[in-house]
Amino acid sequence: MLNLLFVVFLSPLLGFIVLSLGRGRISQNLATVIGVGSIGVSALVTLGAGIQLLSHMPADGAYTQVLWQWMEVGSFTPRFALRLDGLSLTMCGVITGVGFLIHLFASWYMRGDEGFTRFFSYMNLFVASMLFLVLGDNLLFLYFGWEGVGLCSYLLIGFWYQDPANGSAARKAFIVTRIGDTFMAIGLFLLFRELGTLDISQAMATAPGHFEVGGNTVTAIAFLLLGGAVGKSAQLPLQTWLPDAMAGPTPVSALIHAATMVTAGVYLIARTRVLFELAPLALHWVGIIGAVTLLIAGFTALVQTDIKRILAYSTMSQIGYMFLALGAGAWQAAIFHLMTHAFFKALLFLSAGAVILACHHEQDIFKMGGLRKKLPLPFWSFIVGGGALCAVPYLTAGFYSKDEILWQAYAGGHLNLFLAGLFGAFLTSIYTFRLIFTVFFGKEHSAANSGHGLAYTLPLIVLLALSTFIGGQIHLPLALVLPAGPGEGGGADETKIALLSGSVAVIGIALAALLFLGERKFVKWLKNSTLGAPLAAFFGAAFGFDWLYDKLFVQPFLWLVRVNKSDYLDRAIMAGAGSLQSLNGVLTKTQTGRIRWYAASVALGAVLVIAVAVLS
Amino acid sequence: MSFLYVHGGLTPAQWITLLPILILSATIVFVTGAIAIKRHHWWNATISVAGLNLALLPLFVHFWLPQLWTLPLPQTVTPLLGIDGYACFYMAMILVTALATATLSHAYMEGYNGNREEVYLLLLLSTLGGLVVVCSRHFASFFIGLELLSVPLYGMAGYLVKERRSLEAGTKYLVLSAVASAFILFGMALIYSQMGTLAFAEIGAHIGVIGGSERSVIVLGSAMILVGIGFKLSLSPFHLWTPDVYEGAPAPVTSYLATASKTAVFALLVRYFVEARAYQMPSLVNVLSALAILSIIFGNVLALRQDNLKRLLAYSSIAHFGYLLVAVIASGPLAVEAVGVYLLTYVVTTLAAFGVVTLMSSPYNDHDAEDIFDYRGLFWRRPYLTAILTVALLSLAGVPLTAGFIGKFYVITAGADKHLWLLLAAVVLGSAVGLFYYLRTMIQLYLRQRWVQKYSAPLNWAQGTGGAMVVLLMLAMLLLGIFPTPFIALVQAAGLL
Repeated sequence: MLNLLFVVFLSPLLGFIVLSLGRGRISQNLATVIGVGSIGVSALVTLGAGIQLLSHMPADGAYTQVLWQWMEVGSFTPRFALRLDGLSLTMCGVITGVGFLIHLFASWYMRGDEGFTRFFSYMNLFVASMLFLVLGDNLLFLYFGWEGVGLCSYLLIGFWYQDPANGSAARKAFIVTRIGDTFMAIGLFLLFRELGTLDISQAMATAPGHFEVGGNTVTAIAFLLLGGAVGKSAQLPLQTWLPDAMAGPTPVSALIHAATMVTAGVYLIARTRVLFELAPLALHWVGIIGAVTLLIAGFTALVQTDIKRILAYSTMSQIGYMFLALGAGAWQAAIFHLMTHAFFKALLFLSAGAVILACHHEQDIFKMGGLRKKLPLPFWSFIVGGGALCAVPYLTAGFYSKDEILWQAYAGGHLNLFLAGLFGAFLTSIYTFRLIFTVFFGKEHSAANSGHGLAYTLPLIVLLALSTFIGGQIHLPLALVLPAGPGEGGGADETKIALLSGSVAVIGIALAALLFLGERKFVKWLKNSTLGAPLAAFFGAAFGFDWLYDKLFVQPFLWLVRVNKSDYLDRAIMAGAGSLQSLNGVLTKTQTGRIRWYAASVALGAVLVIAVAVLS
Repeated sequence: MSFLYVHGGLTPAQWITLLPILILSATIVFVTGAIAIKRHHWWNATISVAGLNLALLPLFVHFWLPQLWTLPLPQTVTPLLGIDGYACFYMAMILVTALATATLSHAYMEGYNGNREEVYLLLLLSTLGGLVVVCSRHFASFFIGLELLSVPLYGMAGYLVKERRSLEAGTKYLVLSAVASAFILFGMALIYSQMGTLAFAEIGAHIGVIGGSERSVIVLGSAMILVGIGFKLSLSPFHLWTPDVYEGAPAPVTSYLATASKTAVFALLVRYFVEARAYQMPSLVNVLSALAILSIIFGNVLALRQDNLKRLLAYSSIAHFGYLLVAVIASGPLAVEAVGVYLLTYVVTTLAAFGVVTLMSSPYNDHDAEDIFDYRGLFWRRPYLTAILTVALLSLAGVPLTAGFIGKFYVITAGADKHLWLLLAAVVLGSAVGLFYYLRTMIQLYLRQRWVQKYSAPLNWAQGTGGAMVVLLMLAMLLLGIFPTPFIALVQAAGLL
């Protein structure tokens, strides 16, 4: 099965090609079969390849499949190879497994939409690019996939392009992540200049000998790569695009903006771990960025009213946990949380999609209410998924990974990160159950009709099962790729930390029940108090980052644009083009069409050639 | 030493290596007879194509199925012809080009109401000339081959005799080509006067020990040969005929003129420079540098605002041969490899571009579909054909993942290896200008066009052999761009003697 590894990304790619060429000509049923089936094939091949890899693990922990060498000119031999190790296997499992379930759900969610085929072609292209990102053995190919997923994200956020707001959300996501990508590209250039290779295993093997710990260059490279990672993973300070990205169809939010693409930054840092270990300052900042982002996102989520935006901020804060874990040196815990997060966040988004469709595209949670009877499956999905998000002790997948992160942070002596994580967990419980209590309990506000069919129930049930403790028991084969964290093997305080973080989650839920079940008198009073109102507004505006960036970057840029309205800069370039055009005018006059002149020109040319030959 | 073979007759191994040339000659006789017996367009075209395929067969087996059988290379067949891997590679390329031209001609000539059959005869004769040229290592075979290559081309360019422009193209090419041949002959005579030999290898052996005024005469002779070759390759300042002839000649003939005839002459130029050690005369290298820079400037600037696709491709071919000269100037094994790869990519791309023009055109109309406005909105009428032309234009521009990129990359690597910065600057700037006019043409293909067009390929264009050929060429362009390794290995294997 391992030698079929290329099928993993080829199958969605073919799906994309077939769906794009057949747009408008194939039925929705056929598009479903192609679009969902191609991901299913990928998932099966990943499963087979994974089993084979794990049962016959090579000594270096990786299987490399060279697909082709582009060319060989001198010493320049760019080759294209796939590399499967524990880390990329985990990522592939998440991408194809969760991706398959989301595709299946989308075939229910998008049914009847005009752009059904277009939707699945973009989704397939996304999965192919994402797999390319995690399977490529070369940072250049990683970057290629990185840009590919960015493009698909843009296309899918603006999927319903008739609404200009969606288009501008798509552009925002594209431009903001592009800022990070530019940093990353510069980082890759620097890395190539220093090491002369972008082959991941080679670069990681030579880096410790080439750089000294804490050296300027390696620190710069690590920070530049971090720039790419924060852009893609919506971390401070490039986090502003993610909430707006919710303009896309909900399965897109589930797949791209929760389960896979936004975690690419975590993957990148884990992949280039050696560089970050050589640059402790950069690694320290990874943790700080994660901690600050998770707190800001937590506070913001407290006052949001749009069901998808709440989930978006929760995604941001959960990725903050992963960054925190990376910063604390808990590499395996970060990837473990990446996986469990993919399970429960995909579940939450899909059930949010079910709720939104049931309420006729209503997204304001205060216009919903009492839906628990009418929508039992989404209700239980939210209870389990929300529980996992809050890390309800021992019952949910989220607990196992988040507790691991907190314990590792504590054991590694990162007390500030630990406390930030603990407080973030408290916030998470409050905002998550605020959402659940508001939507599913209380008075019924609107009519709702439940979905049905296998494509609707199967993904929810599977993800629901994976979000319980079952998902927490999955053992990831990361031992050969990533080092053990500082608190590996347990310690005296491990149980205490688990109890502490567990009780924080439970207390948060209890507090949410107190605040948001029933009449919410206290919340209303707080919201209108002199201190509460401006604070709520501040949180609601996500700490004013959009406002700040508008003043700092957008307005000055627009001012520059106005100044340069008549293209002063272009004129310099156009002068070159203009002179070429006039030269064209002159030279064209030589094409007279007269044979006399042509023969004469041969003679003149001969004189020239002989002059050069004899005189030089 | 090699004179001895003449008296002893040819050995079996020599006969075998001559197979492509022999089969092609037999095909010519056969087609002549077939036309004399009965004029039948399809039959005569098919016999020609079959003959070309047969001639290609030994080369194909040699290169692609070496485990089955290989040609006994290298062989020196009389002092005139040297058949080595290099010659075989270019023979194969010329035969494939002729095949493409024959199939395209069939699609094109269907609409012609004069005598359609002789075009294949002329094509085969010219191809034979091309084969002789790439094998020649002697001035006599060089000149005979070159004339055999060129003379049928006059007839082909003027084939649509009732068309004023076709006739004009044939006449212009005839007159100017004669001038160029005269230069070549005179140059050969000058060299012979000092060397007393016409064989490349013997010239090369003595060139190092000759000095003084004798050397000046040899330089003068070589320069005159370069004038003639420069004309055949349409290098500036001998390029003025190119757009007129490209425009006037029927589209399939233009594609042949742009590819096979230039490939043959270029292969010869490289062989002459290597075997006759012309690199030992720096002044000749200076001449080549001047021609290269002039060609890049003239070709690109003249194409800039050109609205006629055939003329545009003519100018672009001038620039492309300027780029190619940079590889020749670089010299060394990498240069020979670079020339091979570049010519391969150039031939495939140019054939595809002219193939689309051919499919769009028909002698029924008073001229070919050559105005780029004839192509406006083609995408909305013939999307797949447009895709092929798009890939061809991208490849001409040298965009990565198409064939053209690989070729250009090679040329730049070869140049950078020898620190030819001035020439490389010209290549880079020329390519930048080139991008403008290729994209300018490409935009036209995708504009929305509301009114009915005079020119369009028939709806079933892909079902004929010409259409199939163009589709194959597009696949080849992409394959060369994405997975060039086997082709590069082929070029590397086909080194000079």
